[in-house]
Amino acid sequence: MKKGHIIAMIIIAVGIIALFNAFGDMTRYSTFKESEANPNQSVKVVGVLAKGKPVVYNPEEDPNLFSFHMQDEDGAERKVVMNAAKPTDFNKSEKIVLTGKMVGENFVASDMLLKCPSKYKDEEIFVRSEI
Amino acid sequence: MEGIEYLNEHLWVGKLGHLFVITNFVAALFAIISYYFAEKTENSEEASTWKKMGRTAFLAHGISVFSIIGLIFYLMVNKYYEYAYAFNHVSDDLSMSYILSAFWEGQEGSFLLWMFWHVVLGIVILSKNRGKWENGVMMFLSLIQMVLASFLLGMYIGETKIGINPFILLRDTMNIPLFAQADYLTKITGSGLNPLLQNYWMTIHPPTLFLGFASVTIPFCYAAAALWIKEYKDWLKPILPWALFSGTILGTGILMGGAWAYEALSFGGYWAWDPVENMSLVPWIILMAGVHMNVVAKATGHSIKSTFIFYLLSFILVFYSTFLTRSGVLGDTSVHAFTELGLEWHLVLGLLLFIGISVYLFLKNNKDIPVPEKEESLYSKEFWMFIGSLVFLISVMLISMTTSIPVYNKIVDGFSWMMGADYSNLHRAAPGDAIAHHNKYQMWVALFIGILSGMTQFMRYKEKNFENWKKKFWTHSAIASGLSVLLTIGTAQIVNMFAWQYYVLIFGCWYAVVSNLDYIISTVRTNLKMVGSAFAHMGFGIMIIGSVVTGLNQHHISTNTFAQKGIIEGFSEEDYSRNILLIKNKPMYMKGYEVTYESDTITGLYRTFTVNYKKRDMMNNGKVVEEFNLYPNIIYEKTFQKVAASNPSTKHYISKDIFTHVASLPRAETDPEYAKSQEDSLGYKNYSVIVGDTFQTANYEGKVLELNMNPSHVDYIPMEGDFPIGVKMQLKDKKKNVSYDIEPVAVIRGAKILRFPEYLPESGLKAKLTTEIFDEAFAREDQIDYKEFTIEKGESFKYGNTEISFNGFGVNPSHPSYKAEAEDKAFNAILDFTYEGEKYTGKPIYFIRKGIPYNIKDEIKELGFHFKIGNVNAQAQNITVLVSKTPPRVEKITVQIAEDVPSSQYIVLEAIVFPGINLFWLGSILMLLGIFVAMWRRIFS
Repeated sequence: MKKGHIIAMIIIAVGIIALFNAFGDMTRYSTFKESEANPNQSVKVVGVLAKGKPVVYNPEEDPNLFSFHMQDEDGAERKVVMNAAKPTDFNKSEKIVLTGKMVGENFVASDMLLKCPSKYKDEEIFVRSEI
Repeated sequence: MEGIEYLNEHLWVGKLGHLFVITNFVAALFAIISYYFAEKTENSEEASTWKKMGRTAFLAHGISVFSIIGLIFYLMVNKYYEYAYAFNHVSDDLSMSYILSAFWEGQEGSFLLWMFWHVVLGIVILSKNRGKWENGVMMFLSLIQMVLASFLLGMYIGETKIGINPFILLRDTMNIPLFAQADYLTKITGSGLNPLLQNYWMTIHPPTLFLGFASVTIPFCYAAAALWIKEYKDWLKPILPWALFSGTILGTGILMGGAWAYEALSFGGYWAWDPVENMSLVPWIILMAGVHMNVVAKATGHSIKSTFIFYLLSFILVFYSTFLTRSGVLGDTSVHAFTELGLEWHLVLGLLLFIGISVYLFLKNNKDIPVPEKEESLYSKEFWMFIGSLVFLISVMLISMTTSIPVYNKIVDGFSWMMGADYSNLHRAAPGDAIAHHNKYQMWVALFIGILSGMTQFMRYKEKNFENWKKKFWTHSAIASGLSVLLTIGTAQIVNMFAWQYYVLIFGCWYAVVSNLDYIISTVRTNLKMVGSAFAHMGFGIMIIGSVVTGLNQHHISTNTFAQKGIIEGFSEEDYSRNILLIKNKPMYMKGYEVTYESDTITGLYRTFTVNYKKRDMMNNGKVVEEFNLYPNIIYEKTFQKVAASNPSTKHYISKDIFTHVASLPRAETDPEYAKSQEDSLGYKNYSVIVGDTFQTANYEGKVLELNMNPSHVDYIPMEGDFPIGVKMQLKDKKKNVSYDIEPVAVIRGAKILRFPEYLPESGLKAKLTTEIFDEAFAREDQIDYKEFTIEKGESFKYGNTEISFNGFGVNPSHPSYKAEAEDKAFNAILDFTYEGEKYTGKPIYFIRKGIPYNIKDEIKELGFHFKIGNVNAQAQNITVLVSKTPPRVEKITVQIAEDVPSSQYIVLEAIVFPGINLFWLGSILMLLGIFVAMWRRIFS
């Protein structure tokens, strides 16, 4: 085998190892219950905003604290705490994807993605006569 | 809604449009067939006929694309809301300057934009004699166009719908009672362009990016054509400028996306490793790998296969990126994915078609593609360039894998379905912190590329005698390494580098910069045309240095941990404080700056905040050493009930940027229902006060000074026909002994009464009027019984026991309720009388404004006398006076006052410092300029 081949092979091998390694970085979709069992692992939880529970954001007191209750896909409900400002379109969200972990009773989210209703579905019609 | 004759629809546009949609598809199919036979027919005369037909068919296809685009613009400009595309993307109030943005906001428009550029590039190809390449290249280009055209068909084959027709009528997209009305068009208006996209970036970014995507197609078509006609070498020269063009434009498009995100959106950075960003970067990386292999193949004959693979792959990745962003599969992971339009399987089929063609053509020719017998030397340029391309490939595999996690999950689902088992435990989610995840791997890629791009500049193609060259190579490399070490140490003095890995990376980047500069000085000097690659590689090094410096050292300055406390379990002080609360006009300290939210103004849907920054020299009595204003804004949705977007404002320095945006607003500002409930819960108390009297509240002593018929108020914009009233009051704070002058206002506008409260943020006091204010301030006319007297000047008459004399007219009359206008013809009647020994004068006004007579009554409140002029008879020289006497009226009005109102005039601000960001922009621009220069050289010399 030529030296060139060996170098190329090494590069490819390193690449493959990196790929496997990177796949290991992927998190899992989880539930609140599972996350409670593994409190140190960062997971993603998908759910919807729990109706009738307080959505708290009082920037006068603390502009970096936002909390609400979310119901995950198994129906379990937990309080979610975030150290961020409340996203402007939060109330419109249909579905919430959280990244974070359970700390005590609360799910502390480091990231949140909101799925908002599509512009194409349920289109509002602006009726002139009513304005 | 069968059988309804709708009014005012313009159906001819849709019919014509649909015709073009079909010719668009059919002409592309025709072009494919014609070009196929033009290539395969032996007889040269027949072949040239086929070729002519192919050209004609492609032109017909191009005309169809232009016509479809023209008709859609026609719909949008004329606001024909019967068409869903116009309804969904424009509105009555949309400025014409956003019509382009509105066009490519939708899926259909962006497909058309893509096709438009393909047609333009196709015409460029046809404009010159391309010899043996025309048939194959145009056939594959037409094939791609046919596939794209199929996305616009909107036809049903059996139950399956193929594509989306851009000319579909709104009433065919939904079934709602509105469409039972023949005149529904008078009742609707378009929903318009997303306010987030109403900026100039949306006008320039998509066409650039799509030209970039479209231009990747040309290397693909050449590669496929070369394999098809088995000409493996001749295409390497003509394709290189095309590939470099594509690299320049696609690179510019991606960079523009970053600049848009940074400058105009509140993403807080220029690159977030978002799936949509990744999938535009990946084809570019592969294309650049292809360019390097192309250069090698042209110079040495090595790496021809790699050139084929990279160019084919690059377009496949563009199409894959289209699939990811348009099928809705990314939904959970990206902020800016398109929504589903049911194109998922259609896109998968298209993707499989292009992969199939590429794999088939490549495998069929694999054995015949020439490979030099002699293997490349370890010291040759081509060998290390090949290694560099492998690194690119690995980079792309890593990025694509993470980005494709949703696809992987779908495949797992498909597998579960086939096996009838549940494998959902195999599902994965993308890492929570995408930026950290990608950076962790890509920094090594950048390091390798940096070193290789420096090292290879001093190597030679087809190296046969490295012994002779060795000295030169090692001297340059040693100098470059030494300088780079010094520069790395220097960099570490200025910026924080945190970990050894970053030292290595920065070294690699400096190495690329220094060696390429050395290359320019020592080698290129005499031949400036050769400067392209050196520029590009220097730019790459500078760009990565910039991104490392910015990435490692960006920090929030919007923090004041002492002033803003709040304890959350698990949060460190550091990640805690990113946002700062600024109360209007109250300066706040945050990391070296004194910031004040000074004012805000509303223009259209925009609300712009003025935030003042001051830097003080504490050693020097706090003298202001630097001061500037930033103007972040928010855009409301049309209803003014929600905030659609928050746009940052950035202060640029050479060495850093201060980036600032409004992270949040008081809820009352964005949610009217909440604002109303807040207002109701404030605990207003009513105070009924006679004008001129004082009253007591818990904290204040108040006095009603007077009623004002010409009031002004910050929030009140007068309109014609308004009837306003203001109550001037003075409130004295009992404890602080400070007085405030306030004037709450109420306005009758049409059938509504609008109220404008006064709010004193410093003391938390809010005052407003009741809706009864007009009844309180004015006597109810309908309850007054007037008596009519017709009199001449100098005469007098008796009302009850009171003798009233009409003593002439007054010019330039004044009255609290009368606001004179220039054209008015106005006078008042002077009516003198004596009542219980006191003398009084009533002065009712009569005036003609724009030909219409008006009168204004005069009331002598303490007596209860009312005077009005009913009629003026100029010929008989008499007037009719209306007089009435009611019990004396006390002007007692009610004000509502709430105390201890929480402040709602604040913003939550996020401010981030990005050091060294200009290095990133400079490097990127230099890199793209280098690619451009390389293209220029290959076209024009």
